[in-house]
Amino acid sequence: MIKYILKRLANYVVMLFVAVSMTYFLASAFMNPRSNYMSRHPAPPEASINRSLDNANINDQTPVILRYLRWLKGVVTKWDWGLAPDQSPVGSAVATRISASVQLVTIGTILSIVIGVAIGVYTAIRQYKWQDRTLNAIATFFLVVPTAVLGLFVVFGAIWLNNATGTRLFYVTGLHSYGGSNPWGYVVDFLQHIILPTIVLTIPGVVGYHLTQRTYLLDTMNADYVRTARAKGLTLNQAIRKHALRTSLIPTCVNVAFSIAGVFTGAVITETVFAINGLGRYFVTTINNNDINGAVCIAAFGGACTLGGALLADIASAWLDPRIRLG
Amino acid sequence: MYADMNNDPAVETEDGRLEPKLKRTGRMTLYVRRFMRRPSAVVGLVLLIVLAFFAIFGKYLTHWTYEELDFLSLGTPPDGDHLMGTTSGGSDLYAMVVRGLGRSMSIGILSSLATTVIAALVGTAIAFFEGWFEKVGMWLLDMLLVVPSFLLIAMIVRSASGTAGWLWLTLGLTAFGWIGYARTLRTLTMSLRELDYVRAAKFMGVGSLRIIVRHLIPNLGSVLIINTVLGVVSAISSETSLSFLGLGIKAPDTSLGTLLNEGQSVIVTAPWVIIFPSLVLIALTFSMQLIGDGLRDAIDPYSKSAGKAE
Amino acid sequence: MMFRKTGKDSGESSPRFRTIHATDGQSGNPVDRDAADGETVLQVRDLRVNFASEAGTVHAVRGVSFDLRRGQTLGIVGESGSGKSVTSMSIMGLLDSNAHVTGSIRFHGEELLSKTDAEMSRIRGDGIAMVFQDPLSALTPVFSIGEQMKEALVVHNPKMTADEVRRRSIELLALVGIPNAEERLKSYPHEFSGGMRQRVVIAMAIANNPDVIIADEPTTALDVTIQAQVLEVLQKAQEETGAALIFITHDLGVIAGNADDIIVMYAGAPVETAPVDNIFYEPVMPYTMGLLGACPRPDTGREDRLVPIPGSPTNLVDLPAGCPFSPRCPLAVDECRMSEPELEAVPGRPGQRAACHRTEYILDRKLTYRDVFHVGKAVPSILDDVPYDERRTVLDVHDLKKTFPLTGGGFLRRRIGTVHAVDDVSLEVREGETMALVGESGSGKSTTLLEIMDLKQPEGGTVELFGTPVVKGMPRAERRELHGLVQYVFQDPMSSLDPRLPVYDILAEPLKVARLSKEDINDRIGELMRLVELNPDQVDRFPTQFSGGQRQRIAIARALAVNPKLILLDEPVSALDVSIQAGVINLLEDLQNKLGVAYLLVAHNLSVIRHISTHVAVMYLGHIVESGETETVFRHPLHPYTQALLSAVPVPDPKVERSRHRIVLQGDLPSPVEEIPGCPFASRCPLRLTLPEDKRRLCDTVPPKLGHHDGWRQQVACHFVEESAVRYRAGIVQRSPVTARTEE
Repeated sequence: MIKYILKRLANYVVMLFVAVSMTYFLASAFMNPRSNYMSRHPAPPEASINRSLDNANINDQTPVILRYLRWLKGVVTKWDWGLAPDQSPVGSAVATRISASVQLVTIGTILSIVIGVAIGVYTAIRQYKWQDRTLNAIATFFLVVPTAVLGLFVVFGAIWLNNATGTRLFYVTGLHSYGGSNPWGYVVDFLQHIILPTIVLTIPGVVGYHLTQRTYLLDTMNADYVRTARAKGLTLNQAIRKHALRTSLIPTCVNVAFSIAGVFTGAVITETVFAINGLGRYFVTTINNNDINGAVCIAAFGGACTLGGALLADIASAWLDPRIRLG
Repeated sequence: MYADMNNDPAVETEDGRLEPKLKRTGRMTLYVRRFMRRPSAVVGLVLLIVLAFFAIFGKYLTHWTYEELDFLSLGTPPDGDHLMGTTSGGSDLYAMVVRGLGRSMSIGILSSLATTVIAALVGTAIAFFEGWFEKVGMWLLDMLLVVPSFLLIAMIVRSASGTAGWLWLTLGLTAFGWIGYARTLRTLTMSLRELDYVRAAKFMGVGSLRIIVRHLIPNLGSVLIINTVLGVVSAISSETSLSFLGLGIKAPDTSLGTLLNEGQSVIVTAPWVIIFPSLVLIALTFSMQLIGDGLRDAIDPYSKSAGKAE
Repeated sequence: MMFRKTGKDSGESSPRFRTIHATDGQSGNPVDRDAADGETVLQVRDLRVNFASEAGTVHAVRGVSFDLRRGQTLGIVGESGSGKSVTSMSIMGLLDSNAHVTGSIRFHGEELLSKTDAEMSRIRGDGIAMVFQDPLSALTPVFSIGEQMKEALVVHNPKMTADEVRRRSIELLALVGIPNAEERLKSYPHEFSGGMRQRVVIAMAIANNPDVIIADEPTTALDVTIQAQVLEVLQKAQEETGAALIFITHDLGVIAGNADDIIVMYAGAPVETAPVDNIFYEPVMPYTMGLLGACPRPDTGREDRLVPIPGSPTNLVDLPAGCPFSPRCPLAVDECRMSEPELEAVPGRPGQRAACHRTEYILDRKLTYRDVFHVGKAVPSILDDVPYDERRTVLDVHDLKKTFPLTGGGFLRRRIGTVHAVDDVSLEVREGETMALVGESGSGKSTTLLEIMDLKQPEGGTVELFGTPVVKGMPRAERRELHGLVQYVFQDPMSSLDPRLPVYDILAEPLKVARLSKEDINDRIGELMRLVELNPDQVDRFPTQFSGGQRQRIAIARALAVNPKLILLDEPVSALDVSIQAGVINLLEDLQNKLGVAYLLVAHNLSVIRHISTHVAVMYLGHIVESGETETVFRHPLHPYTQALLSAVPVPDPKVERSRHRIVLQGDLPSPVEEIPGCPFASRCPLRLTLPEDKRRLCDTVPPKLGHHDGWRQQVACHFVEESAVRYRAGIVQRSPVTARTEE
């Protein structure tokens, strides 16, 4: 088992390396940090621009392969992910934003799984009944609503509610604004901030888990072994709960493991709508600022999360399914 | 699931040669009938037709164009002159929405089509050529999936601007949108390859190309059609997201996502700027989703909606 | 409409009218055979089940009634769509919610049909238990055997302590013959073979000493030697619990030996019910006769032609007016087509009832199936005059080898061993003969077929077709020529014909490969359709519009299209109903006689093989253990495995079945990865157990070669052929009825 995981891990490291390198070359080809300086009024002297660019190792006059090797050396030997065009180190910028993303995304993910799986099970047991049809129609609706639209409407609604009640129930920007020392006040303030983005993150997640869990359970609900369980004397609901559900949760668990990857980069829109300084928003900033090193660093982090999720999914399925489990 | 086939009145005509054609249209009518039996699918279809009509001919309902600015009415609510009001910059929102809808639709449809073609080619090729080709191919696909594609698309698209921007966006969405889909098609082709009638054709000495064209493509066909339709939804969503972040379509061109971006800052003072594009956007994606679901049930013989006819 | 009419009729007639064992004597049917033997535990009256479907209402069960006593074994026989499984599922209360059930099912006098799921669940598994067809999917894969056993016990005995549960589980598993029961409680279902899983299912079924056990095709998915084991376990389980057993099957042979009474079902309704001997020796209803005549027997050979029932099974949605069997019945008169006959007592036959308007006619003339159904004469073979030795060899396989890498289940994709699927297989097939490969699953018989059909140089050994060795780098033209000479027929005609193409295009495909002109293709297709006895006007229909048997005929027509000299057939009739299967077997024989084509056929059903083949090769674990002329091998099996195999085949003859002695092989097939240094059969060989130590060592260390032995006509791969033959003749192994009867 350990040997297998190590082997997988080695393969993933190679994969990540190739993917990140590819991203580096793509970013270098499509991003032009020089334009940041050229668009200033007045444009700084050429030599000064070059100095700044050279310092950040993003000068387009240096051959890209040379820049790449230099960057790689920095990453491998010093864990130095390079500088942004404004000469700030990207490594620490990413590190500080991870915490905000984690706060935002963790609650949303857990809620998505719990609510989504519950609805999925509920509707599968009532296949083609009105509850199933209604919830399915709602799910289909939310499935196609782009996150941006959803986010804006939630903001709109919150502002309306704030105005209607005359108090500031919800905050529509940031995660914290409490300056006092009362821990209770801190918590309440955090909740007031987090609730709206959590709604925006949770709804699409719930829809996803609802629809997949419903399919998985429907697949297993008609399995022969559920019939065997009923023949033993379990009621239909007991048989489904104990036998079909357990089996149908395996692919869902694998999905959960995989979703960890999306967790950190998937909140771009929500972070933008609610002005939360997380990784997603930082990613938009790097793109807009022609921040090659920043973008690559985010890509590397995202890739590492993807592969971490994949590894977790492998382990989870082996752990949950005795057919795959091996000594 | 075959019961309705059996109940088709199997007419025996004396002219045998004419009959196959007749039967094949029978299959099509069966699809159409199954599709039309779903009210939601019909609603989706009607909605899509209305939207397409609106995107093509909507601009003739107003004298404003999407590039024109009316400095006398900045951020005014809907009235007789500006059907959906104006943005804070003075653009006629109605003209913008018509234009944006057309953009979003063309981006969605084009990139979904292109994605399907690439994914089908790569997916079936990998499934067909076994051995090291398959191994390397799969590794490359996995590798391409490692970095979130959203990032890469944004990177490529941000440098493009002006009227060609939407083409770049389509290209970007296609370039990184086919990978997961290709994997799915590969799995599907592999299971088709094992079908008895495909093996039967192989045993008869039928050439590979002929097998693909006669037996595999028709089987993949339904999956491809359904996924192309549903792919439009996800392409439009991606487009909207990128434009919303300011990374997609940029002025002077416009798309529904760009309009949302504009409306975000004036959400309190001029809510119509987000409300109208949002409604059109939801109508568009919703209609495509309904059509896709309807097609899946109509074409897919394994679909559950075909009823239990054992 | 149909349903309402008969429903009313039966409402008028008294319910006991329909029972097999009328509790009070009825006129002309005085005493029930053994009514006093036990109390009635289950009473079914006028059971009817309808399903709503897209095509219309499916009348799955149309008026089934019977009584079941403790200890009684009731066989319900029918083909697919006869309603036999739906009947059992309605007794269990396990039908889908879209089923509409009427009538009455009483268990110890308690009405079951009005019970809720929760109330039924208290009876299921306690009073009535069930064993299902497919043991591979019947157990939950994510729970251990122990957990599943425990559930069966605790759900009805919540007060049982963990220790009691454990002891009882071990006791039950030991009872059904699972070795090391204590350890195996921790195992998961996938670690068990199919036969072992079926034993576990049976153990769970008898866990609470039920009064009724329903076994729905419990051995259909199993190999014949495993089937023999499971039948034995079931019988033991019934003895142990004293339960009544409802045995549902399509295979008349399986129930001939242990059923007391039989209900024959057709199109959802019982058409004949009687004590077992009456059904087998004095059937009255033409359908019952047809079923018996169509059923191949392992004790009759090629010269006894099977009796096919014409037509295909009835569509349960649009039932014809009148007797549902009338469209297929040679005796049908107008009355049969007008009104559906009731199940009525057969005069002079206590306990026997038949639903037929022609009962008197049949009884008066003492008709048997040979009189009722048309038994076609076999076509004389064009090769009859050519002695065997002068016939051309079409296929010569020498020492064929095929291995597969075995990789760990899904997760760890590393190679954990090599499966020797085919090991040193040599075969020779001559023109106009039928060579059958027989063996249980995992014996490598299908792999052998596929390896030959691949037309690629094999991994080991040689394949020679019509004198041309198949080698790497064979010229393209030569390979195409071979493609024309060798064709293939798949097991399941449902999946081997592209559902999107009309029959015309399906048949045209091989002809196009052969580059025939359009006109020639057209002519040839008409010819082919007539050859396989199908209406040429139907070429524009799609495969789904044909029945299973017709589809297999289309598949055969396609194989014949380019005039091949050799056809490889993979279980060509095993997916078909018995009544249909006979027609296809006869067709294959006729075609061979007419065209002189050779068959290499794979089958697991020995009865079918005896009927269809001239030569047979018995395979075990990738090796051929015995081969020779079919008659020789069936009459004088030499290899202990062949002997066991033949003794395990059920015969549709109650007297034979009751008196016979089966060689029940111990254990399962060894794992395919296992490296076996000696004889592959050594681990299960009953002969080896009787040998002295030094001889056993030979079995364990040296693999026997297939070869001729003095005085015997077939080839055998056994070190101790003489001992085996002596043992067989001396009757230490009691003679299997299969061989006994034909030797007389």
